[in-house]
Amino acid sequence: MAEHVLELKHITMQFGGVVAVDDLSMHIDQGEIVALIGPNGAGKTTAFNCVTGVYTPTSGQVLYHGRLIVSNRPEGRMKTLYAGSQKDHPAEVVVNTPDRITKLGLARTFQNIRLFKTQTVFENVLIATHLHRTSNLLTATLRLNWREEREMREEVLNLLEVVGLKDARDELATSLPYGKQRRLEIARALATRPKLLLLDEPAAGMNPQETDSLALFIKQIKDRFALTVFLIEHHMDLVMDISDRIYVIDFGRLIAHGAPHEVQDDPDVINAYLGVDEE
Amino acid sequence: MKKTRITLIVLFTLCALALIIFSLSVKDSLPGLLDRMDAEQTATQDDKMLKARDRVLESIREGDRSKILRNLERYTSGWADRLDLNGEIGLELFFFRNGPSLTALGLFLLAAAVAMALSVLDRKGRFRKAAPPLMLIAAVYTGVYILENVVGSDSMLMTVLEKGAIFALIAVSMNLLNGFTGLFSLGQAGFMLIGAYTYAIFTIETGTRPQVYQYYAGGLVQFTLPALVSIGLAGLAAAFFAFLIGLPVLRLKSDYLAIATLGFAEIIRAVFQYDGLGPITNGSNLLRKFATYDTVLFPFVIAGVCIALIALIINSTYGRSFKAIRDDEIAAEAMGINLFRHKQMAFVISSFFAGIGGALLAMYQTTVQAAAFTSAMTYEILLIVVIGGMGSVTGSVIASFLFVAASEWWLRFLDNEQMIGSFQVPLLRSGFRMVVFSVVIMAVVLFYRKGIMGDRELSIKRLTSRLSLRKGGLKNG
Repeated sequence: MAEHVLELKHITMQFGGVVAVDDLSMHIDQGEIVALIGPNGAGKTTAFNCVTGVYTPTSGQVLYHGRLIVSNRPEGRMKTLYAGSQKDHPAEVVVNTPDRITKLGLARTFQNIRLFKTQTVFENVLIATHLHRTSNLLTATLRLNWREEREMREEVLNLLEVVGLKDARDELATSLPYGKQRRLEIARALATRPKLLLLDEPAAGMNPQETDSLALFIKQIKDRFALTVFLIEHHMDLVMDISDRIYVIDFGRLIAHGAPHEVQDDPDVINAYLGVDEE
Repeated sequence: MKKTRITLIVLFTLCALALIIFSLSVKDSLPGLLDRMDAEQTATQDDKMLKARDRVLESIREGDRSKILRNLERYTSGWADRLDLNGEIGLELFFFRNGPSLTALGLFLLAAAVAMALSVLDRKGRFRKAAPPLMLIAAVYTGVYILENVVGSDSMLMTVLEKGAIFALIAVSMNLLNGFTGLFSLGQAGFMLIGAYTYAIFTIETGTRPQVYQYYAGGLVQFTLPALVSIGLAGLAAAFFAFLIGLPVLRLKSDYLAIATLGFAEIIRAVFQYDGLGPITNGSNLLRKFATYDTVLFPFVIAGVCIALIALIINSTYGRSFKAIRDDEIAAEAMGINLFRHKQMAFVISSFFAGIGGALLAMYQTTVQAAAFTSAMTYEILLIVVIGGMGSVTGSVIASFLFVAASEWWLRFLDNEQMIGSFQVPLLRSGFRMVVFSVVIMAVVLFYRKGIMGDRELSIKRLTSRLSLRKGGLKNG
């Protein structure tokens, strides 16, 4: 069996008494674009946050290239409160902070754009190269790392050229139009040199033209940087257009999974999105 | 353009060389100058005058410059009517009196000429960009040196400059934490205290220790370290404490962090006054008789080097990640920046320089007492940081000098009762200065919401472009 790039095993995330994600299992293979969709409040972003280390799941495991990066079981008060449907819990406990997950090669963007507001476009991307530094505080202060610094700057310039923001490099990040801010966020994530790119609703708030160009853009960078892409999206056009496979969740539970056209015709999915007739 | 530059370079070089050579050559010819001053040898007929002259000659032999100057002054002013002090002789006297200042000025001009020449030759333009700020800094230092020689180191101006430089360092160190990393910490006075005490404890002369530690049998520490080493130790001690405090405290955010660090500073102040630590800290008594500096340049150079280091850190990849944490913690962490490690780094660096600032403050005050390092001191520095602009190094420096000058000097007259004729000006009495000062600060904060500089730095380029813009505007209008 080929190794999955990312694999979620029975992820359950419970906040107090609310089960936000219930027994979610999925996998993503090399070079795929996989989408996670679902109605509002279905638990998409929560699942995402479990992968990127923002939350530690109540139960379940996440594997990245076969390596266990997150693993947890209900402990303490959660033991009695636990209400997930999966009753077998992993034995190991592995917790990683978001910065360590990013270092492993998973980079993300945010649903509500989170750029460094007081920094220019160039600096925003430059900051993301920090995690590859070989300098320490002393060498960086005395500029003994000038060669590395120069390479970082060149890399960032290249990246900005690829995403089409080279002309705006000295502008304040927040002064960019919305669509370009999205691109900048993706460029910043790319500067961490990821293998897996996680996009949290990249088309949120975009008009149809912007969405189209975004779809093209995602495909381009995927090929150019040999990425695997995992995205959450509301925008059906975008999802159907670019995804290889789609997972659908509702109320935290996986309700359908398959190629776009399969999912599109699935009665459960239609019910979840349009509601069931109550008669 | 190029031609005027070359003329300027030549002019500067010539002036510089003339100044240096002349002020240096005058130094050795003083006895001859004394002879020429009194060409008719009137001194031989007047015992008193002869004695005054001999005193000058004797102090020349001793080589103590301030003594020579004093005796020379007495001689030339006392017998001015009999001496020829005009023309060439007067000029030489002037050069002798202001020798060091003029040499410094000459050296500065020479450096300026060299810098200009290099800028002309420099093809890449890297030097041309760096030269103006460097020359500005050199000008400031030369200016301070000349001022000190002209007005004397006891004057109010020098006091303000000393304290301003020290507070500038402390304010910039606080800005690194509060303005650049976005950690609202109020522990600065505590770290200054640690620095000040560390410095004082290690530099008190061994012979005077029984006197200082009179209630504690001469104290525990019985050796003396050089001043510079002790200043370094002061920084390290503060940094070490910051490291320990940071372990629990840096997990807190915003207001909670402020309260925790404020509490730490208060605890440190109490601990240093604790009687049980008396053999080291002298309890609640003063520490005194430790090494101090004798020229304003000392705090200027130390503070300048430290501020330069902080500026280098801020513009390095680490500084960029500090700013990222300030702007958006969650995004910074998602970009692979370890929040705790970087916050701790900023905290330790800031405290290190606050400790050095504390050591300089101890030297400035010549005595140290823990009771003086109150939270009010932290607020003063916070005020400087806010007025200067959160996230601006030059803002903090400028605000520091303005703050110290206003509070210590410019508003002094408000504390004295003033009479205009028989009319007593109302309100002017002791303490009124602080009222006006507070109003001034409120006005500044109201009109400059983000401080004098905001989060930008002072740039010569922007200043000159603004000036030329204004000129152009006038012409058009």
